[in-house]
Amino acid sequence: MGVFDGHGGPACAQVISKRLVDYIAAALLPIETLHKYIQQDPREALVDTFNNRVEILQELKILYERSFRQYLAELANLPHEGYNVPTALEQAIIKIDQDLSKEAVEPYKLNQVINPQTLSVALSGAVACVTHVDGPNLHIANVGDCNAVLGILTEDKEWIAKKITKEHNSENFDELKRIWNEHPDNERKTVIRRDRLLGELAPLRSLGDYRYKWPIEILMKVAVPLIGPKAIPANYHTPPYLTAKPDLYYHRLSTRDKFLILASDGLWDMMTPLQAVKLVGEHMKGKVFFNPLKLPRKNIQLGDINELLLHRKESLKSKPKDRNAATHLIRHAIGGTEYGVDHSRLAHLLSLSPDVSRMFRDDITVTVMYFDSEFLRQCPA
Amino acid sequence: MTVYRRMKSQSVSWSIDCDLVTPKKCHELFPMLNVEDVLGGLWIPGDGVGDPHLLCMSLMREATDKGVGVMEDCSVTAVLSKDDKVSGVETTNGAIECDYFINCAGFWARQVGQLARPQVKVPLLPCEHYYLHTKPIDNLDPMTPVIRDPDGYIYLRERDGCILAGGFEPIAKPVYEEEIENASQRCLPEDWDHFHVLLQELLQRVPGLNQAVLHKLCNGLEAFSPDCKWIVGEAPEMLNYHVAAGMKTVGISAAGGVAEATVDEIIDGYSKYDMHELGVNRFLGLHNNKRFLRDRVKEVPGVHYGLPYPFYEFETGRNLRLSPIYPTLRDNGAVFGQVMGYERPTWFETVENESEKPRPFKIAHTRTFGKPPWFDAVQREYWACRERVGLSDYSSFTKIDIQSQGREVVELLQYLCSNDVDVPVGSIIHTGMQNERGGYENDCSLARISENHYMMIAPTIQQTRCKVWLKRHLPSNGSVTLSDVTSMYTAICVMGPFTRSLLSELTDTDLSPSNFPFFTFKEIDVGLANGIRAMNLTHTGELGYVLYIPNEFALHVYNRLMTVGEKYGISHVGYYASRALRVEKFFAFWGQDLDTMTTPLECGRTWRVKFDKDIKFIGRDALLKQREDGIRRQYVQLLLTDHDHELDLWSWGGEPIYRDGNYCGQTTTTSYGFTFKKQVCLGFVEKRDKDGVTQKVDNDYVLSGHYEIDIAGIRYAAKVNLHSPNLPTKYPDKERDVYQATRKLHEPQQFLGRHYQP
Repeated sequence: MGVFDGHGGPACAQVISKRLVDYIAAALLPIETLHKYIQQDPREALVDTFNNRVEILQELKILYERSFRQYLAELANLPHEGYNVPTALEQAIIKIDQDLSKEAVEPYKLNQVINPQTLSVALSGAVACVTHVDGPNLHIANVGDCNAVLGILTEDKEWIAKKITKEHNSENFDELKRIWNEHPDNERKTVIRRDRLLGELAPLRSLGDYRYKWPIEILMKVAVPLIGPKAIPANYHTPPYLTAKPDLYYHRLSTRDKFLILASDGLWDMMTPLQAVKLVGEHMKGKVFFNPLKLPRKNIQLGDINELLLHRKESLKSKPKDRNAATHLIRHAIGGTEYGVDHSRLAHLLSLSPDVSRMFRDDITVTVMYFDSEFLRQCPA
Repeated sequence: MTVYRRMKSQSVSWSIDCDLVTPKKCHELFPMLNVEDVLGGLWIPGDGVGDPHLLCMSLMREATDKGVGVMEDCSVTAVLSKDDKVSGVETTNGAIECDYFINCAGFWARQVGQLARPQVKVPLLPCEHYYLHTKPIDNLDPMTPVIRDPDGYIYLRERDGCILAGGFEPIAKPVYEEEIENASQRCLPEDWDHFHVLLQELLQRVPGLNQAVLHKLCNGLEAFSPDCKWIVGEAPEMLNYHVAAGMKTVGISAAGGVAEATVDEIIDGYSKYDMHELGVNRFLGLHNNKRFLRDRVKEVPGVHYGLPYPFYEFETGRNLRLSPIYPTLRDNGAVFGQVMGYERPTWFETVENESEKPRPFKIAHTRTFGKPPWFDAVQREYWACRERVGLSDYSSFTKIDIQSQGREVVELLQYLCSNDVDVPVGSIIHTGMQNERGGYENDCSLARISENHYMMIAPTIQQTRCKVWLKRHLPSNGSVTLSDVTSMYTAICVMGPFTRSLLSELTDTDLSPSNFPFFTFKEIDVGLANGIRAMNLTHTGELGYVLYIPNEFALHVYNRLMTVGEKYGISHVGYYASRALRVEKFFAFWGQDLDTMTTPLECGRTWRVKFDKDIKFIGRDALLKQREDGIRRQYVQLLLTDHDHELDLWSWGGEPIYRDGNYCGQTTTTSYGFTFKKQVCLGFVEKRDKDGVTQKVDNDYVLSGHYEIDIAGIRYAAKVNLHSPNLPTKYPDKERDVYQATRKLHEPQQFLGRHYQP
């Protein structure tokens, strides 16, 4: 399962979300199965997908199919160490990122033509947080500024949030150090400016975004003709500046682990991991979680407090009956106020036209995954 | 208003000056009060306020002046005992040797109890308790009365020109998960949503508060016990370990009295007033279960201000102790009351839909001060017991086996009991266990199972209490052993004129009076089961048997009784019917009529006191002195002659009794007498001189008065009885009729069973 948060246009995120799972699945196939699978024609789907809403253009499909076949062949020739989830996740993510580049550059190299479709995919970008769950084994690969947070219920019935991932942005000091070390000292002031890579990009790792990865010559030949000279970022001296290499995490699930929230930075800007965990936890119990009332000002009259409380009670009554915990989280992230969810605020923020909405809110993607405690209890150690 | 009328009428017993007032008068007393929806009020001119902090400081100053040491910022880490007696306290500042320890740690009392070795159970749990302070309010009279609005669960008062207001919400928030470790944590973050229900009531009652500015809302913690009563007295686990906790916000007004009682207990060994209802030994281990407390205390604060209906039942912490026949009784219409955690059928509803099984659990609510909703059911059961056969679950009774190798057990019981227990094997003796003052510590039946083995049957609520009394008097050499067999036996009582015929169909034992007379015991076979301890008595005055059945046989015996009983018209009978029987028969019950301050001489039981036993029993001197000096109060039965049970409010206990127009005592237990067709009240009558000092009373004095009972302000004429009446019956039984629980001194005995020795 994964969340993919695109930027600079939706193309990259859409393509990644369609293709990455196949890449991962292929990397996890036992070698004999892989060989048989390569022989299949037509090949059956490797994975069943949920929430699969976008369709890829026919000509791109053929292109991607070719890349995938090459990838399978490469996999078959790789020394096979057996079933290894973290390796598979990392391999797949890096490989698909390389394929995005190849699919954009190859037409130019071969025929001096530019395919605007593959190029727009390679020039836009996406961060991704992908998990693989096998029995009690939870693996997470993270590229960029999404986060995975585990909801834990203690014996005392209290919710604890465990943030598993560390986002790749300028708040992550290790990440800053990595980037500074990869480039000459004289670029120290320019490589991260205004908390962004080269003053432009907020996440410090991502898929696509080849404006920060390709050598200048390729950018000049491929990108500049399409989008003009601003395709090359300022102070672009020692590319690549960006990588798609994921951080990998492992957690062994216990019966206390009740669910995992995967969400883009849009959610984590609005609430803390613990708030999110409590919201999902209460949602699990069918209750609405309310932050305790903090009085809005000093010297308040009792009558006004009563009004405030009546208002809260009213919103409790009209509490959103979200069937889905992820929707519940987003509703609170956007519509949350002192007295619960304010529907008009929520409606307003959701109905802003796309061109201005970014000034008031980020897009938010959330996936909540529940764990079966009974299954985990019986899992052999 | 009924509650206020009852309070006003009963205030005479406590000499509290109070008045019923009109809404208009309420408004005059406190002009900010909204009286639109008020029917009336109770005005207590002598009511006042105190500052708990200042009070504590001044008490402490007084104490230190008199040489008491006070240590602050010092935590108790353990309370140690030696030979079941407090020996010392360990603290963060070192160990202290001591003879007495008083646990008055407020809502920490339960935790402090757990520090004792062995642990002392102090079953209480803190709840969040809210009150707010406003900023100063203009022209607020410092003499503003304290307002209590029980319907709105709120109270408010003036404090330094501001209003302090709080309440007892119907559903409270117990502190369960958080451990409150130190004083800085004693105030929890406020939950305005939880307080809202009280705030709304406050604003409704005093609309002017809408404009009042909030100073702060406090969420202090207050501890509540499972039955909403204080917890005081010496702990059953350890001698000299006293508890004074669970004051549920009224600590400031309770402090003086509770302290006096505690000091009296330490110095004299007993308090001036009977306190068994508050005693820490009224609990069982189950009451200290934290989850039980968490569930229960949710509804306890609400009870503090709730309407004090008779026979109050809690909704939570139910279905805890269940007899083996509980599911069958429930499916047959039983409605349950809880006593010591035990679900006891109180009455049986008619089951209309036979196929609905299991029937839902039903709680016995009365919720009226007039004719109760269970009247018809109890009437039906009453007549079953008097004219056919009634079957009742007595399993909750305390059952204790006491035995020894030699005669030690007989000597011990002769010392503890005021009656003569050295009776032939197979006899049952009904006896009090007196304290040094002659009062009842326990009232029980003792069946002599064998030469040196007795089975004691005591009231349910005595389970912890009477064991402590026995244990503290056991010979130190361990020669007498005591085992609580309450949970080993299911007790089924069959009562009514046909019980002998019924039981004889199920057993080969000869049940004729010559072989198995009244007030005797036999171990018999019933149905296919064996080892059933059958006692020929019913505790209600009816002919019948109580069968103490080993648990695994209980359902079998029950089924046989019901099957064979069908042709005798057997019916299930609940507690209220047996209660009605015993009140009409003028049987006193420990904990309801009798207590640690009541002597046998005062309640017509002198005939059960054997002054001339070889062994001088506890309380003998006090009773001898009372026999010389005469008694100052007399237990009587009063029948209301002009009371309409359909229309008038009922008497439920605690009502004042007037003799020739003068207050002379209070009722204890009451019931409707289905044979008399009158309200029956039991109670004590005193003679007071003009200064209120009690004087000697005798039968002539009691019988010569004209009595009235005041129920919620209306006085009903009453006819007085000193002795158990002979109720007319279609099925006279010579043997039973001669038995009177309450009777004249040394009345010549007529026909008695072979073994019967009163």
